[in-house]
Amino acid sequence: MIDLKELILAKDNLIPLLRKLKKEARLIAPVKNGYGDTFFTEISDLDTTVIDLDSQPQSSLKPFLLPQQETLAQYTIDKEEYTFTPPEKEQATIYFGVRSCDLTAVLYTDLIFSKPTRDSSYYARRNQSLIITLGCNNPFPNCFCEATESGPYLEYGYDLQLIDLGDCYFVSAGRRKGADILERWGYFFREVGEKDRKIRYQLFLESRGKFTRNVQVAHACRRLQQHPVPETIWEALSRRCYDCGGCAYVCPTCTCFSVDDMPLNKTQGLRLRSWDACTSSGFTRMAGGHNPVDRRQHALKRRFLHKLKDDLTLHGKVSCTGCGRCVDICFGGVDITTFIHLITAAEVP
Amino acid sequence: MKENFIPERAVIRELIVENEQIHTIRLELLDKTRPFTFLPGQFLMLSAPHCGEAAISISSSPTALPLIDLSIRKAGELTTAIHKMQPGAQVGIRGPFGKAFPVENFSGRSLLFVAGGIGLAPLKGVIDFCLFQQELEEEAAQDMTLLYGSRTPSDIAFQEAIKKWQEQGIDCRLSVDIADEKWQGTVGLVTDLLDGCTVTEQTTALVCGPPIMIRFVIARLSAMGCTDEAIITTLERHMKCGMGICGHCHLDGKLVCIDGPVFSLAQLKTMDVMELG
Repeated sequence: MIDLKELILAKDNLIPLLRKLKKEARLIAPVKNGYGDTFFTEISDLDTTVIDLDSQPQSSLKPFLLPQQETLAQYTIDKEEYTFTPPEKEQATIYFGVRSCDLTAVLYTDLIFSKPTRDSSYYARRNQSLIITLGCNNPFPNCFCEATESGPYLEYGYDLQLIDLGDCYFVSAGRRKGADILERWGYFFREVGEKDRKIRYQLFLESRGKFTRNVQVAHACRRLQQHPVPETIWEALSRRCYDCGGCAYVCPTCTCFSVDDMPLNKTQGLRLRSWDACTSSGFTRMAGGHNPVDRRQHALKRRFLHKLKDDLTLHGKVSCTGCGRCVDICFGGVDITTFIHLITAAEVP
Repeated sequence: MKENFIPERAVIRELIVENEQIHTIRLELLDKTRPFTFLPGQFLMLSAPHCGEAAISISSSPTALPLIDLSIRKAGELTTAIHKMQPGAQVGIRGPFGKAFPVENFSGRSLLFVAGGIGLAPLKGVIDFCLFQQELEEEAAQDMTLLYGSRTPSDIAFQEAIKKWQEQGIDCRLSVDIADEKWQGTVGLVTDLLDGCTVTEQTTALVCGPPIMIRFVIARLSAMGCTDEAIITTLERHMKCGMGICGHCHLDGKLVCIDGPVFSLAQLKTMDVMELG
């Protein structure tokens, strides 16, 4: 994909630029907390907060674009009148320092929340968002975005993409909103030289060579298209799943949710949307207790088939972005890479 | 932009107590200017105060609009709350959602309806719709048979409708699993009623009931010579959005809320579905 505009940003100009942008929007960027964990955090003061671009954020943008719990509506019951009112408007937000895997996940979520019906609450936030990504020159230990075709650099989908060239950033505008920033704040940037392009390409090649995990995503996908998964694999995986929901919690593309009404008092309440996960037993259980999914055998079936088979069929792309977060979180060791290893190692029936 | 999870307000105009377990609420939208229509087999997301939402299939025909019937079996919190409601009470509805029965292909066919318990609810709309069509144009006339199984005679729902259908020439055959002293009809499973039926190339079978019933009825119909395309069923799943986003009603790569709930056996056979065993 050809970018709308490309420029070079000296590193010294980054914070001054963000300061300008922050005047008109909320700024969210990775920040290390007191426990040494890095999360996307709202930045209130750029002078006192250090943006951490060296660690992989433990959370993706999911908690912002699809909050763990959000109010979809308020309702009142006044005598017999049962009425609903919509939630408040969203504010403009800039997300800075987003990794390629997480932007890919946002693009996937855009798709899920627009077909066949456009989800108004999600798009109210999404339309107010501007995403500035940072290409990965040093993939983290659990990363395998190259195998899921969602990194280490991106070719489309970002408003702006930054590539760290050492003393400056190579900045590409992939969308109009990003190009507008480059035009409006042109004095922070300089033109791209031939040398900059060469360094960028060299760094890209080096980054691709730095992945330490060999996760055969394409091979697994081919297997899933051609052969059913042996029941023994499902059972072995389910036995070690403790229904904690950790994988779905950290996964940037696990977007399944529940909608429930929460009474505030006798006459008022909130209609809430909250994260839900197909790995939990209540996900498919119906009123009266009947459950079409047997957890003992198939606790993880939906999760893995959805990401590696169904989405490939439906959208032409797997919905695992290779961020590796589930590898860290799963204490049963049955993350998606385990499944991929099992399925690619299994003998063809 | 329209807020997706805000329902339209509807008022209960009439309450029909089908039996102890099943109530039919007859609804009308409060805002009469809002265009609303549906096809038999589609469902609504029903809101009850403080109880959230549940997916409920419409049990009336669109020809009865502006009235909309929802037949609700007491199963959980929301349905219990609905059972306590009286005419005049307000509920919320979103929809309609889902694929309908292919009623456009039904003219001139022999329709064989096989239902168990509350499973008659979605089929009831189809029967009423077909009867209405027959009145309009004679060529549309179908020969209709209903096989309806209930647990006990007091569990038989939609008795008024069944009586009316019989008067209108539908062959209605009822069975109960457990009889009482007064029951003189068939005792046994609904599959037993299939013994007295014949299946031809003209037959389309519409099946709805508990998963285990669906499984046995489908197997039996296939054995009797019904093709996979001519066996149509409608599935029940836990749902939260109704519009293909929340993920709860996943079914082997498909979603029951948008790809179903109505499926032909030919479609179901391409999937890993509990109802087929």
